[in-house]
Amino acid sequence: MKLKDLLDTAQARILWCDTARENADVRHVVAADLMSDVLMMDLDHPLLLTSLVTDQALRTAHVVGAAAVLVANGKTPPPEMADLARELGLPLARTALPKFDAAVALGRALEK
Amino acid sequence: MNPIPISPEQSPLLFLELLYKLRVRDVMAGNLVTIRRDATMRDLQRLMQERRVSGVPVVEDKRLFGIVSIEDLIQALDTRRMNEPVSHFMASNVVTVEDDMPLSIVLSYFNKYEYRRFPVLNSRNEAVGIITARSINTRLLVELFRELARIENQYVIPLPENASCCFKTFRVMRSDFENAGKAATEIKNTLQKRGVDPKIIRRVAIAAYELEMNLVVHSDGGTLTFRADEGEIQIVAKDQGPGIADVDLAMQEGWTTANEWVKSLGFGAGMGLPNARRVSDEFHIASEPGAGTTVTVRDVLPPRNPAP
Repeated sequence: MKLKDLLDTAQARILWCDTARENADVRHVVAADLMSDVLMMDLDHPLLLTSLVTDQALRTAHVVGAAAVLVANGKTPPPEMADLARELGLPLARTALPKFDAAVALGRALEK
Repeated sequence: MNPIPISPEQSPLLFLELLYKLRVRDVMAGNLVTIRRDATMRDLQRLMQERRVSGVPVVEDKRLFGIVSIEDLIQALDTRRMNEPVSHFMASNVVTVEDDMPLSIVLSYFNKYEYRRFPVLNSRNEAVGIITARSINTRLLVELFRELARIENQYVIPLPENASCCFKTFRVMRSDFENAGKAATEIKNTLQKRGVDPKIIRRVAIAAYELEMNLVVHSDGGTLTFRADEGEIQIVAKDQGPGIADVDLAMQEGWTTANEWVKSLGFGAGMGLPNARRVSDEFHIASEPGAGTTVTVRDVLPPRNPAP
């Protein structure tokens, strides 16, 4: 599923993304606040769903080659995070949904 | 008490070189505060307060007559002799140093004499400065910083991107979460530019990141050294302490000594070392409490297809 469409299903607002990455194909989601767990997963270009709003969420996502980072629970990433997202070429979005609800929405969308 | 607890005999060679290279004129305080013999102790008190000094050479026409210190001032206050001239209180038997003496000799003066400051004379016997433990320490620190920076820069060998081998050492500071992960990011970007298989890049980047976070979270600071050539990629994380008491325990999944604050940042789950081992072809750890830890990981690159 295209990243842009997938993010739509979780009512996400994109904070940084470019056109090429909007259309990237995404098939996996990792939902975690523990970055150590993310580093253990072997998934191709997953979407990282997290409520951790630090640079480390982005750096971890970048290291594992994630397709994007979606911040849940209505948290607002600080502006520096959007700057870093641009620098790393890593799409960043946020949603007002609680993490569980966002995960359910993303999971249902990927099942189709 | 020895104000500068350094003896040239027991110094590292590099430091010894500095002690001989630096001359008194390099380390002395040059904007010399002086007083005349006929000035009163009251004048001295004002001068010391204004210029924030605790010892003043008595100088007229660049000629040194003695030195008055805060102890002399206290004595004058104590005996109500503040209107008497400085010459009644000054020590006239002053130990001086010459401006072209190497610092190593001056250090021995501090150990040989009780004095905390030595006026500096040039070859024409003119008072040109004063040397104190503070002036020496300040200059030595500056020189040491410069020297360390020079040595550190030798570790970084810039190579063109298409070179067959690249090498870089990153410095990682304890608890520096702001910069944590930058080394791993740069390593990943470098490997991408070198056209390494994305699957291998991912493994190396994860190992680099885990080791980098370990340095930030657990060590007293250290270095992450990255080296890539046509055959393999190697990352070495080296720190100066505190060392791991039980390496086998540290390698167990889920075992951690991280505090709650680190955990709130999404780390410290006790998976760092096991995960670094998981993503490497070779993994080696050596640690000693009090000494430090060195972790080496290696990933082998498949032979490239020869260019058509």
